[in-house]
This record gives sequence, structure tokens and C-alpha cells, in this order.
Amino acid sequence: MSVFSEKLQDKFKHYLARYETRRSAILPILHEIQDEYGWIQPEHIESLEKEYGLAKVHVQEVVSFYSMYRTEKPRPYRIYFCDNIVCTLMGAEKTMEKIRKVMKSYEDKGLESPFSLEGVPCLGVCDGAPAMLVNKERYLRVDSEKVEEILMKYGA
Amino acid sequence: MNEQVTFKLNGKDVSVPKGWTVMEAARRENVSIPHFCWHPGLKIAGVCRFCMVEVVGRPKLEIACNLPVTEGLEINTKTDVVKDAHKWGLEFHLINHPLDCPICDQAGECKLQDYYMEVGKYKSQMTRPKILKPKALDVGSELVLDTERCILCSRCVRFEEEVTKTNALGIFSRGDRSIIGTYNEEKLKHNYQENQVDICPVGAFTSKRFRFKQRVWFLTQKESICPGCSTGCRISVHAKPQERRYFRIKPVLDKEVNGYWMCDIGRRTFEHHNLENRLDSASLVKRGNGELAALAEQLEASSPRDIALLVSAQYLNEEYQSFFEFFVKELGVQKVYQWREPTEKRDDFDNILLRGDRNANTQGLMGTLETFGLSRNARNEFDDCLKSKSKVVIALCPEITSGFPSLGTHLTQLAEMPFVSLWTCLIEATEIKGLENLIPMKSFFEKKGTTLNYNKVERKLESPYPSAVFGALDVSEAVSALRSEMRKMLGKD
Amino acid sequence: MPAAKHKIVTAFEGIPQSRSLETYLKHGGYQNLKKALSMKPDALVDLVKASGLRGRGGAGFPTGLKWSFIPKDSKERYLVCNNDEGEPGTFKDRYILELSPHMLLEGMIITAYAIQSKKGYVYTRCEFYEEIEWLNQAIDEAYETGYLGENIIGSGFSFNLDHYIGAGAYVCGEETGMLSSLEGKKGYPKLKPPFPAVAGYLGKPTIINNTETLATIPWIIEHGAEAFRKFGTEKSPGTKLFCVSGPVKNPGVFERPLGYPLQKLIYEDAGGLIDGKELKAVIPGGASSPVLNKEDVMTMKLDFESLAGAGSMLGSGAVIVIPHDVNIFDVFKVTADFFHHESCGQCTPCREGTGWIANILQGIEENKGSPADFERIYKIATQLMGRTICALSDAAAMPARGFVNKFRDELNAYIETKRNTR
Repeated sequence: MSVFSEKLQDKFKHYLARYETRRSAILPILHEIQDEYGWIQPEHIESLEKEYGLAKVHVQEVVSFYSMYRTEKPRPYRIYFCDNIVCTLMGAEKTMEKIRKVMKSYEDKGLESPFSLEGVPCLGVCDGAPAMLVNKERYLRVDSEKVEEILMKYGA
Repeated sequence: MNEQVTFKLNGKDVSVPKGWTVMEAARRENVSIPHFCWHPGLKIAGVCRFCMVEVVGRPKLEIACNLPVTEGLEINTKTDVVKDAHKWGLEFHLINHPLDCPICDQAGECKLQDYYMEVGKYKSQMTRPKILKPKALDVGSELVLDTERCILCSRCVRFEEEVTKTNALGIFSRGDRSIIGTYNEEKLKHNYQENQVDICPVGAFTSKRFRFKQRVWFLTQKESICPGCSTGCRISVHAKPQERRYFRIKPVLDKEVNGYWMCDIGRRTFEHHNLENRLDSASLVKRGNGELAALAEQLEASSPRDIALLVSAQYLNEEYQSFFEFFVKELGVQKVYQWREPTEKRDDFDNILLRGDRNANTQGLMGTLETFGLSRNARNEFDDCLKSKSKVVIALCPEITSGFPSLGTHLTQLAEMPFVSLWTCLIEATEIKGLENLIPMKSFFEKKGTTLNYNKVERKLESPYPSAVFGALDVSEAVSALRSEMRKMLGKD
Repeated sequence: MPAAKHKIVTAFEGIPQSRSLETYLKHGGYQNLKKALSMKPDALVDLVKASGLRGRGGAGFPTGLKWSFIPKDSKERYLVCNNDEGEPGTFKDRYILELSPHMLLEGMIITAYAIQSKKGYVYTRCEFYEEIEWLNQAIDEAYETGYLGENIIGSGFSFNLDHYIGAGAYVCGEETGMLSSLEGKKGYPKLKPPFPAVAGYLGKPTIINNTETLATIPWIIEHGAEAFRKFGTEKSPGTKLFCVSGPVKNPGVFERPLGYPLQKLIYEDAGGLIDGKELKAVIPGGASSPVLNKEDVMTMKLDFESLAGAGSMLGSGAVIVIPHDVNIFDVFKVTADFFHHESCGQCTPCREGTGWIANILQGIEENKGSPADFERIYKIATQLMGRTICALSDAAAMPARGFVNKFRDELNAYIETKRNTR
């Protein structure tokens, strides 16, 4: 029995046949696993070797090298805030401070925050700085007032 | 094929075969270019960026390891700009290195230390806290890994890819957080682990067997041949002869035989040479020490038809020569049996170095048998020997027991024969009841002579260590001692 | 293509539903592909050489010349579009995807024909979730209508294109780091020589061009090399996308001829600074280009040569405006942290040097600095230049040296202020 769903396995097979080498399928397969399970777990990596012959070391190298692969169980809403030059110039730190405050308000109530916050390199939308992603949703010109509204949308 | 290319190395015209790199050319010319990631037995990685040289007419320094020699190229390796680059290159490698040399096993053979003296000698500019990484990781039966000492040269990763093809090591994470390791701290399982210790230019990989045993500068090194199998890797034996103690074995480059590597089984073949495992004359004192005389008496009293020779393939050509010269030619013994492990898979090969024939000199023995008209196939004839009803058996015992699981049983069986003279270096022989006649032998590293490997490549053992035990003989010495015992006897008559 | 002044890759600006194939075809889309397929591949290479088009990703290498490096006797060749826009301050390739992904595809198919490649990849960073979908749709449309796949519009030429998505690594924007990533590995740039045109993706000849570069190709086919050279300067012909960001009134992408005055771009096109802020400095070509002070800005022309002459570079055309009320140390530190975070770690000087610089700046921020620190950073940065497999090390070193060079007094004053507020 595979740890992966049939649907996922079909996708894997498609990727493994799609490129010139099977190894090229590692990145897209990891994206699929992450979309399905939220993060990449050791049993996934072990199964990729057992079921598809993708070497554990090669997969682990890729997982640990690229910053968008998650190796820990994620919170429901992951905020990726650009902390690069332009967003910094445009007040990213102030907005992030606000996000931290919202997150702390959960802790103060003894709850786990549904949000996680991570500073990320330039998101390529500097004309809309400060910019952030919540999961895969992009938000531009996020100042400290606007961010509160956005977080409300996600249940804050 | 043999097209030569001429270039200038530090002002001197140098010709090398087309296709060589500046690094290879410089090595042949004894021009030292500092390097960490380049290794002649591995593919070029070009990542340490230490082997910078100046190419006249080009704006940037270039790395010698990936720079092909072309006609008219002018290379400088000692100009100020190159020296400066080497100094900085070393400092970049050292800013996050723990500098724990006093407790590091690599001290004394560490390229960081060597290069500090050769191209460094700077005052450290690192004023900030260093990056900490996992230490003392158990990554295999033979290895300990310190990722903080690691300079990420990737030699070990390439070794796993190119030589053992096990892909067991990777570089995880990114930037200065990068860490060498196995997946989820799994252990390396192959038989070539200690090569990682050799090729690691720093103290990241150290040998479990050798760790904290000895400072390397107290060790003597002598070249020999590995007695572990019929490949016959060229090796260097590291020992303290004054203490009669062997510490480790390292491979020596032999392009025809083993290249740069050797296996872990081979590396362990020093252990049985040490005093506590050795049969010496002292252990025979209570028997009266007249072993050779006793054998001479037996030989004197026996017809050649009642004498048998049982010969293992772990002795040198010259030893076989004098052995058969005496017993076959002079005494007329006709019964010669080969002593081999019955379960051996002689033709096994791991596709790297280790062979199923765990005897260093099968070909040498076969050749010598042939010259004495005793030619036959290399096959185990131990049972034939037992059944031969011989009254006297002279047995040349194998010294490598790891490839000879049946040895214990064989010795017990031999002990039931009327008279067996066992020529051996193994202390175990004294524990077998009924084995009365034991001749202490020198071990492989203590003898001069030649071997023929599986491919009939001849190699010489030229610089023996003095035997770790007193009173040990090689076969030739034993034979001449025996000969004089017999003469003495004849003289008495 | 819609004709408008100064507009090559932004020709579809202001046109409704510009991304759709229908719109693209309505405005003459894929006609240049037809034209190109009727020409000899070598003639296309010569045409692009004659246009003087230089790579728009940052390095500015002549595009036609790059194409001509493919060994004549090679069979399997690859074309890769570098759509991994990650240089801080840059958002121009994203804009092309927003306006007209088909223009990129047409440029790619023409290029593939010119270099006789049968297989290509677009490599896009994963954070462009929306843009990835736009491009995927365009690729599907192109396959459905026969612009991609076997026997393209009956020409006998076949080209298959796949879209490969990154996973968060700036170094994959380096062309050989991208190839390693395409091979399913860490984005370690490949040792050169051999260069990718000789041994690239899977060791096969590979041409990697930036999105903007490729999107420029159809226009050059349509209008010719001479028309292209009417824009820009002699050595930097054509137009370029400039991304203006920071506290300006109209941040955004502007297509302007090369050699365009920087001051005009900031004060006229982008409308000048907001809230009465004064300009302190400008990073003219993305995070890896050395900073310009106000004096430089006022006279600077935006082309490869002018910026190189001033010790900076045109880079990706990302113009970041730094206002007077920002301490230059903060910009320096963000930049240094970025390169430290993104160094792949393969080459020792970059791995250790980017970390060392960031580490020293961290110390200064923690009030453990001394003026000697900036001198040290300058020396370290100098040793990072031209010493590694790829240019990330240079990209980290050049701005570091630039900040120390242009703002030494302000940086030293920062240490003093920290000390006094201890």
C-alpha cells in the first residue's frame, strides 16, 4: 500500500514520464505532495525511494535547499511577508509588527494562532510594496491597517 | 594520442599531453597549487576556489583544476595577487571552522594546517561568533562525522556517487548552513568507508578504528601489499616499530592495481599482526622450544611418501620457492595439497576492488607449483590431505582468518593427524589441543618478497617492519633452519 | 503588433483582455513566427546579431552571439526561458506575463527555430501563482492552435514546450543554477567551461534567455534590426523595461529606450517622491547593482555603458528609490542578509563571504561594531569578485562595496549613534 492517494500516484507517474530524466520530476512531485498534505514528511521521502526509485538523499537535498518546501506541520494560514529592500523601504516591518501582535492575541487567549509569519525574499511585485502572500493569495500595499482587515478575512 | 602541448608555468616551458589541466601539469612539475576539492581520483567540482592561478592576459584569476593547458598559455602561481587570493581562500575556509586541532584526529595530516603554513600565516580577521553545526555523528561502522569541521569540498559526496555508487551522502540546506550527511542519519553500509577519512582534507571524517589511538606524527610508514584478497592493493602500513605495534593501513596509488582506494576489510588486516594476536617463540618456551628439531626428527624418520605439504596461498613467491626446493626437490616429497577456504567464491568481485579469493598470492602459488611440476587448478584440497594417511604434515597456515571461516575446524581436524607442523603467526593455534609442533611465522608486513595478484601483476614487498614478535621466521628462514637441524642430525650419525 | 511609441514588449498595454490568444491574433500575433519559419535559421541568428539585442536578465550578453555558440554538429538542443524573476526590485517579466504571455511564446518558438531546438522549458518561480496559470493557459492555447508541438503551422518544424516551476531559490535565476534545478537537483550553478551553449541541460547544448529578451524577438522579426537600433544607444540598442519602486508617486514598469535619463524616469514617469520626501540614493539595476548617490542620479543615463562607467550596472533595470529618511545602513543590511540567505553554498568564498558580511553587519546592529568593520567588509567583498562559479558572489560583493564607497560617512556615523545611545 502506498502512502500516497491513487490520484497523487497518477500525477507522479505523469511527471516521471514527462521529463528527460526521472530525477527532474522531484520538484513537481514535491509541490504536489505539499499541496496535498501541507508539508513534506519523512515517510513521503522514504516512499518516493521505495515506490519510484527517487534516491532519498537526492530528494532530501532538494527539500532542504529550496525555501518554499515545508518540512514541519504548517499552520492553516501561512503569511510570507517580503522583507526585502523595497518592502522594507515601504514599511514592511511595521506591518509585520502588526501581524505579530495579532498572532500574539491568540496566545494571550491560550489559543494557537492559525497564522504563521515568515520573512521571504522579494516576491517580484515591488510596485505594490509592501507585499505578502497568505498561502497562495497575494496582497499588495499591505499597511498595518489593511493587514488587519485581511487577517479578519481568515478568521482573526 | 600523444600530442603534447607546451605552456609556461612560472616562466618555465613545460610540455604535457593534450587534455591535461594546469593542476595536473603543476603536480607533475612539483609546483604546489593549494587545493581542497580537487582529487585526482574524482571528477572536478571546482567549488573550493582555492587553486587560483594567474593566466597572463586574462583579467581574472582562474582555478587550476578546471583550466585546460593550451599552447602558449602563461600561468603564474606565485605572484602577489595569487598569494593574496590563496591567503583569503584559506581564511574563507577557516572563519567558521572550530579550530579544535588539539582534539582533532586529523591534526598533523590536515590540509588546513598544512596550507596555513604554506600559503596562510595571516592574522585572523574573524571577530564574530561562528556557525555551529552537528558534531560527532555516527555515520557508519567505520566513521565519525563532524560537520563543523567540514569545509564542504564535496569529495565524500562524489566518492559515494562515482566510486561506490551508493549516493549515501548529500549536502543539505543552503549557503553557510549547508551540512554534509546521510539521509536521516542512516549509516553508510559499504566496504569502502575509510576512504572517506583519506580523501577528507580536514577532520570531518575520522576513523572509528584509529580515533584517539595515536598522533600521526609518531607513526612510521612503510609500503607493503594488502594481504586481504587477490587484488593486492598497494598500501602504506602505519606503525610504531619501537613498540611493535601496527595502527592503520592506507592505500597507496597504484594505477594498475587499486588506483587511489582500498577496502575496509583490507584496512583491518593489520590487527592480527599485533603482539596480542601473535604466536611467538616465548609462547612456546614451556614446550622446550625444540619445534624445528622435533620436525627434523620426524622428517628424518619418515619416508617421503608419508610426508605431505599443506599450503595456503598467503605466502610470498620466494617463500614458496624455498619451501618446495627443500621439501620437493631435496626431500622428494610428492604429496602437495592446497589449503583454501572450502566455502570461498573465488570469482566474486564487488566491481570495485574486493575479490572472492581472499588470498593475496594464489597466482604466485600456482606459478611456483607449476615450476616444480606440481601444476594443477587452484582448488581446496584440505580433505584430500586429511585422507592422505600421511604421517607428517607441514602446513603453511593462512594468516588472514577473516576470509577463512573454516580455519578453526581445519586446525582441529589437523590436530588429529599423527604429526602436524603448523607454520603460523596466529596465537589461536596454541589453543588447539594436539597441535604439538608450531613454528611462529612473520606476518605479511614483516617479510621481503613478491606477490602476483589475480591478474598476475607482480608487486614487491621491499621494506619490512621488524617482526612484532621475537623469534618469528619467514618460510625461507624456517626452511634453512630446518635444513641445518637435519644436517646437524646427519652429522651426529 | 499594436504600434506605439517606445513600445515593444509592452505593446499590449491598455488593450483589453490582452492576455487572450484571440486578442493576440487580432493584433497580428504569431505572424512573425510565420515569417520566421519561412527564413533560414542562420538568417534569424544573423538578424538578431545585427539588431544588437543584449540579454535583458542583467548580464547584457549579446543575444545573437550567444545563440551562435551552439556547436554546429550537435543534435539535441534545448531552449530555456529564464522566467525566475527574483532580483529584488524587479517585476518586469511578471508584467510581460500579465500583458501578453503569447508574445513570450512567439519569441520562444522563433528562437527555438533559430537555434534548431525541439524542446524548451520556461522556468518560473513558484511564488508567481497567478502568473503561472496565465502562462499555462497560453501554452495550452498555443498547443491547441498548432503554434506549439509537432509540425508547427505546417512548417515541418516541431517544438515542445514545458513549464517548470521553481521552489524558492534566487540562485536558480542564474542560468546554470536553473539548469541544475530543471534536472531535479539543488540549484547549484554548473562549473564553466563548458558553457551551457555547449553542455547545458543534461550536458546538452542549451540556450537560456530572459523572458524580456525572448519577448523582444517577434518585434525584431517584424521590424528588422535597423528599426530596433533606432531606439537606444549604439552599444545598448533597443528599449528596456525599467521597474521603478520605492516611495514614488507612480511605481511601475516603464518601457523606455536605453540611454534614457534616470532623473526623468524617477521624477517624470514615476512622478517623483511621495509625501515631500527627498531622494537620497538609487539602486539602479536591482539589489546586485551598486548604489548611486543623488549626484550620480541627476546625470545618469540608463544604458549598459553609462552605468558601468559609474561603477554600477544596468542589471535587470530595477530602479529602487531610497528616500532621505531611511538610514543607508538598513538598506545595506537587508541587501547583505538577502545574499547571505540566497548563496547556494557551493563555492567557499561566496558561502563564507556572504555570511561573514551579514554577520559583521549584525554585530554593528547589535552595537558591537567598529569603523574598521566597514573596511573589512570592503576587503571581503573585493575577494568575492570574480572568484566563484557563478556571479551571485559578485552580485553580493558589488553592492557591499558600493554602500561603503558612497556612504562611508553615514555608515560610520551609524556606528557612532548606536554607541551614543547605548
